[in-house]
Amino acid sequence: MAAVRDYKELKDLFQHHIESYDHLIESGLETIMNVIKPVEINDPFSKIKLRNILCLKEQASKQRPFLFPDECRQAKVSYTGKLVADVCFQYNDGAVIREKFNFGQFPVMLKSKICHLRDADPQKLVFHKEEPMEMGGYFILNGLERVVRPIIMQKRNYPMSMVRSSFRVRREGYSDKAVSIRCVREDQSAVTVRLYYLSNGSARIGFWIEGREFLLPVGVVMKALVDTTDHEIYVALTCSYNEKYKGAKGAVGTQLGGERAKIILDELHGMSLLTHSRCLDHIGEYFRPVMPGLENESYSVVGDAVLNNFVFVHLGTNNRDKFNLVVFMVQKLFSLVDQTSVPDNQDALQNQEVLQAGQLIAIYLKAKLEEWLEKSRHLLSDEINSQSKSFSLSSLAEVRKCLDKNPAKQISTAISNMLKTGRLATQSSLDLPQKAGFTVQAERLNFLRFLSHFRAVHRGASFAGARTTSVRKLLPEAWGFLCPVHTPDGVPCGLLNHLTCTCRITSFFDSHGNIKDFFKIRLSIISVMVGLGMTPSLPKLETTGPPEVLSVLLDGRVIGSIPSREVEDAVSHLRRLKLSATSVIPNDLEVGYVPLSFGGAYPGLFLFTSPSRFIRPVRNIIHSVDGNNIELIGPFEQVYMEIGCADGGDGGRRENLPATHEELHPTGILSVVANLTPWSNHNQSPRNMYQCQMAKQTVAFSSQALNYRADQKAYHLQTPQSPIVRTSAYTKYLMDEYPTGTNAIVAVLAYTGYDMEDAMILNKSSVERGMCHAQIYQTETIDLNEEGGRSDCESKTFRRSTIDRSTHSLDFDGLPFVGQMLHPADPFCSIYNEVKGTTSSKKLKGSEPAIVDYVAIDGKNKKQLQKVNIRFRHPRNPIIGDKFSSRHGQKGVCSRLWPDIDMPFSGSTGMRPDLIINPHAFPSRMTIAMLLESIAAKGGCLLGKFVDATPFASSMNKPDGEQGSEPSSLVSELGSMLISHGFNYCGVEVLYSGVYGTELKCEIFIGPVYYQRLRHMVSDKFQVRSTGTLDQVTRQPIKGRKRGGGIRFGEMERDAMLAHGAAYLLHDRLHKSSDYHIADVCSLCGSILTTSIIERRMPATREIAGLPLRRASKTAFCHACQTSKGIENVAMPYVFRYLAAELAAMNIKMTLQVTSGAGDR
Amino acid sequence: MEGVSYQRYPRVKIREMRDDYVKFELRDTDSSVANALRRVMIAEVPTIAIDLVEIEVNSSVLNDEFIAHRLGLIPLTSDRAMSMRFSRDCDACDGDGQCEYCSVEFHLRARCIGDQTLDVTSKDLISSDHTVTPVDFSDSPGDDSSDNRGIIIVKLRRGQELRLRAIARKGIGKDHAKWSPAATVTFMYEPEIHINEDLMETLSLEEKKSWVDSSPTKVFDIDPNTHQVVVVDPEAYTYDDEVIKKAEAMGKSGLVEIYAKEDSFIFTVESTGAIKASQLVFNAIEVLKQKLDAVRLSEDAVEADDFGELGAHMRGG
Repeated sequence: MAAVRDYKELKDLFQHHIESYDHLIESGLETIMNVIKPVEINDPFSKIKLRNILCLKEQASKQRPFLFPDECRQAKVSYTGKLVADVCFQYNDGAVIREKFNFGQFPVMLKSKICHLRDADPQKLVFHKEEPMEMGGYFILNGLERVVRPIIMQKRNYPMSMVRSSFRVRREGYSDKAVSIRCVREDQSAVTVRLYYLSNGSARIGFWIEGREFLLPVGVVMKALVDTTDHEIYVALTCSYNEKYKGAKGAVGTQLGGERAKIILDELHGMSLLTHSRCLDHIGEYFRPVMPGLENESYSVVGDAVLNNFVFVHLGTNNRDKFNLVVFMVQKLFSLVDQTSVPDNQDALQNQEVLQAGQLIAIYLKAKLEEWLEKSRHLLSDEINSQSKSFSLSSLAEVRKCLDKNPAKQISTAISNMLKTGRLATQSSLDLPQKAGFTVQAERLNFLRFLSHFRAVHRGASFAGARTTSVRKLLPEAWGFLCPVHTPDGVPCGLLNHLTCTCRITSFFDSHGNIKDFFKIRLSIISVMVGLGMTPSLPKLETTGPPEVLSVLLDGRVIGSIPSREVEDAVSHLRRLKLSATSVIPNDLEVGYVPLSFGGAYPGLFLFTSPSRFIRPVRNIIHSVDGNNIELIGPFEQVYMEIGCADGGDGGRRENLPATHEELHPTGILSVVANLTPWSNHNQSPRNMYQCQMAKQTVAFSSQALNYRADQKAYHLQTPQSPIVRTSAYTKYLMDEYPTGTNAIVAVLAYTGYDMEDAMILNKSSVERGMCHAQIYQTETIDLNEEGGRSDCESKTFRRSTIDRSTHSLDFDGLPFVGQMLHPADPFCSIYNEVKGTTSSKKLKGSEPAIVDYVAIDGKNKKQLQKVNIRFRHPRNPIIGDKFSSRHGQKGVCSRLWPDIDMPFSGSTGMRPDLIINPHAFPSRMTIAMLLESIAAKGGCLLGKFVDATPFASSMNKPDGEQGSEPSSLVSELGSMLISHGFNYCGVEVLYSGVYGTELKCEIFIGPVYYQRLRHMVSDKFQVRSTGTLDQVTRQPIKGRKRGGGIRFGEMERDAMLAHGAAYLLHDRLHKSSDYHIADVCSLCGSILTTSIIERRMPATREIAGLPLRRASKTAFCHACQTSKGIENVAMPYVFRYLAAELAAMNIKMTLQVTSGAGDR
Repeated sequence: MEGVSYQRYPRVKIREMRDDYVKFELRDTDSSVANALRRVMIAEVPTIAIDLVEIEVNSSVLNDEFIAHRLGLIPLTSDRAMSMRFSRDCDACDGDGQCEYCSVEFHLRARCIGDQTLDVTSKDLISSDHTVTPVDFSDSPGDDSSDNRGIIIVKLRRGQELRLRAIARKGIGKDHAKWSPAATVTFMYEPEIHINEDLMETLSLEEKKSWVDSSPTKVFDIDPNTHQVVVVDPEAYTYDDEVIKKAEAMGKSGLVEIYAKEDSFIFTVESTGAIKASQLVFNAIEVLKQKLDAVRLSEDAVEADDFGELGAHMRGG
């Protein structure tokens, strides 16, 4: 056994979470601090600015050693570090004064750079009571493990053309066409800019400020950006049209472009905005009210600020670049309008990227810091203006004191709360698609479920409620990046996707773990491109367009144009540079070459170096640099690439389009969980989807550090086994560390009828020998500080009562013994209230016995014990009604534990099956792989070897050049293995009835199949009631399993009864067994509310000993009629009386007409 | 009923016998008797197994129930089981099942002191009765070498401890699989194979070979001298019909006829080690006889009680 395993394959699956957070810590926080605008307080002119934010590991000291993640989980606190930042004060351009502010306890991601367990080897992890293969990537908040769920966003810095009917209703004259670009700043915050097409031929630029969209004529923006002439603008906008190429391939410009350019310029004339400065002033005037802090600035300064802060923010302050981008976008928009190019599909992965943990926190933190600064400014200026006290802004001590009213610590609290709830508490949307649902709890039901939380990406909460289903569609662009199999069925189907096992997310870090210098990378890319024949755009604007030349965009910046005949060579050269480890070109550069086409996508060469993109490895079969031919490609470029399958065939390609790349392995299109299904290529596809669901609901070996965990609920399989038939992914991802099932001997036959309709018969002896035994661990946390009100919070302790005998099963400290068996309603801890001098006890809930597994105390409070975790263990061995499933979406419920001797047995081996399923489970579901698994596992058992069941294995050409051999089928391979051991080729055997000892008249398919025990167990679900609690208002039985309620006999059930004509039964269910009530109705006034019972006074009689007391006679009396003459007894549901009362409250009188006799009217 | 006798005189021929394995023929009887014998061997021959565990200290990684369950599954030498009392029937201890007539006490004390992982095995179980001990699977009894340390119960690391008291009781496999003395009991019907020699001669050697090879088990062979197909091992036949199907596929249906003899059975018995395989068969017959006695007794008493058939069932069961 290897001394130290590096779990690299597994680590890679979690890496994107950690890298994203690492970047935030390493440079993201600093960037935010630098870009946050200082606030100014006018009185004695001064500035406050943030600088140098530091997130420190908690310093250990003698009094308080730092907390490790495990301690946080146990104590139900958060795993955090102190966030300290310098706040800079500057008075009247004087020297900067730095003051350290504590911004509170900032949540720390496990295994990130500032985590104590970073780089810890398995041994150290075990020492710290973690899993030996702890991967991190999540936060611990109040003891709960929460993970940021990545959300799919529009691809950053790429102008995307779109058609949406909602644009039309925006304002008069708008068409449904626009080009949209999501620009992301260096600090990860984003502003989306849209260029709308107006039906009159002009265009408007729109962007959102504080939840409101502002629209500007495109001409104004162009002129405001660059001091240029109308002619230059005209040429720039019309350069893509050339008479020569009319109707040629890739010609996107049309004659109409010139007309529209004129309209745009005429608009400017109409508004008499002729010069650069006039345009800038116009913008400044228009925006000044919404630009806080710039109220007193000149229009041109405000105009500049608007352009800097909201227009194409990814380009910073470079207005020439922005101008070029506007030109490109206008050309793309016109092309879209003229239908020389098609709109980009928003739902296609091609135009998407992910929002990750670090980015989300960065955006939110920035918003919160700005909020804090703004509030601080208010506080200070209020203090100055109040003048009641002698407040001097120049005294830092006083400023600090004032700022304490707006504690800086709330910043980290806000971040923690955001991660705890997944909800953003901000006014504006921060250019994020949703406000809630950003984080989920990383449940450790089993390892596959845990892992899937880190591999899931969500399409966005806004689509969950949408009525259209087009976003849920599996599109070909997602090939290789999102798993086609691993998506839940039901509500989130197609919205919650999982990354494939090979898919990664680009990060800020290069392969050596250093932060990428994007500026340098971009510069070198530009120089490479110039070397490849690109004309840089900066000296002069290009005067031609496609198809002659193609624009080159690097991260949303027009860096030049390249002649279309040279572009293919340039792309090929770039791809070679990507492979080289020594070049400055990063290996995850996305070379999105959109070729010229007849009305296809808008052509161009789009290069992306940005983080948060999907990438996956493929083999480049043209280039190989230093033996490396694994190229990382993104979904944008994949669409235009020729990637063949590695089966050696041409995949139906024509000769003029040979494959340039090759898949590494066909299983690369599947997620980790989907990859574990053996031979999933032989199954009907929905079955594989079901298996992905059920694998995540399996009771498995949940955790190796189970003894140290305090999860609210943990499921644990007592006797797991390693599957005989397994895929290569099983070994690759070390699933043996967390096995999920049992190799059960499964016979497929209809025996006894107890296996009908997906029921299954378990062998009683097998279960008694330990098959599928499981436990549920449940932890109760009792914190006396949180118990009850604040009044007596300090006065409670754990102590056993000396008087109350019922708690004497507990230890004298009021806590249970470890290993003690508790029955429902037994006390499990006793609490003594010192103020009142009373003891109370906590009772075990539920309906099944539990065993005290462990008791942990929180010794933080030295004086008295205040907080304990008590973990219970519920044994859950298989019983009738428990759910099981094979790995092929074949689930079933145990219908009987059948005695071993009554099970059929094999004549040759004497084996009895562990489990019997019905043959009807197969024809309609077509889970051939399950049959294959059975045969293969049987062969594997006889051979004493594990069998490889990697799907699509035949689609790989063998590396050792074994093409000559006959492509033998899988079945014949497995069959001959069985034959050689004296078994039937098809895996069938002759079985004898266990009851009669006679041969069963047909051969039975029998073999080992890996079975999973699912977490749905009857013990959690059964519900039974004869009589019990009633609802106070309606006097009907209450609902809810926990409270001992009944199951609703609903309207559909009522309909069924009526259809059967079972009137008496219906009456029994809905009336007699429900809210049967006899009401006194006054037939004179028809009311049921005015009657009441009056106890008639008996004439005074002497009590005679021995004689029963005469009952006081009761008479009903109508208060409205002042008589009891017309009182009748009527049986009715009690809710009817309630209805009458409710109606009476609304001044509606309900009267009943009471007649005697059924048919009497 | 009276006068007609269905009595037969079954014969048993032992073919192979080891401590934990026996193979014998059972002839001149019905499948019902054969199956009854099989069922009794699996589920109704009594053995002794740990049934009650009192855990004093358990700081191992496995929880109490897990260890108790594992202890229960350890086979104990149960030669005394037939003569022992069921705890429920024991009048010496009023059914609390802790007296010497119906129970055996075990103790286990293990604590890991060294840095090496300590394996707690069935050999660490100390019995109060030398006739009831965990089964020793070593080849030569008394060989206590390190490579044969019995069945592992739990592994302890430094500082962990396991201390417990266990009570073993008599029971049958019907109640819980841990009391089942049989690992495997199976029987097969003896096959009767008739080769149609005339038809066989019409086959070429190649065809014969492929026909012989069609059986996954080695039932037939070709005589190297005469090139005749001979039956070498009829009992290897698993009633899989492969050869018959093959003959049909070759267009020679009726090439071979195979019947299962209705009254001859070949039994294979493997014991868990709790009792010797041969003893298991004897005990099973003994239990079967007791059950028959119960039936016979109840037949006399049928008129006496009003339960009728139900009463007989209650007593017999």
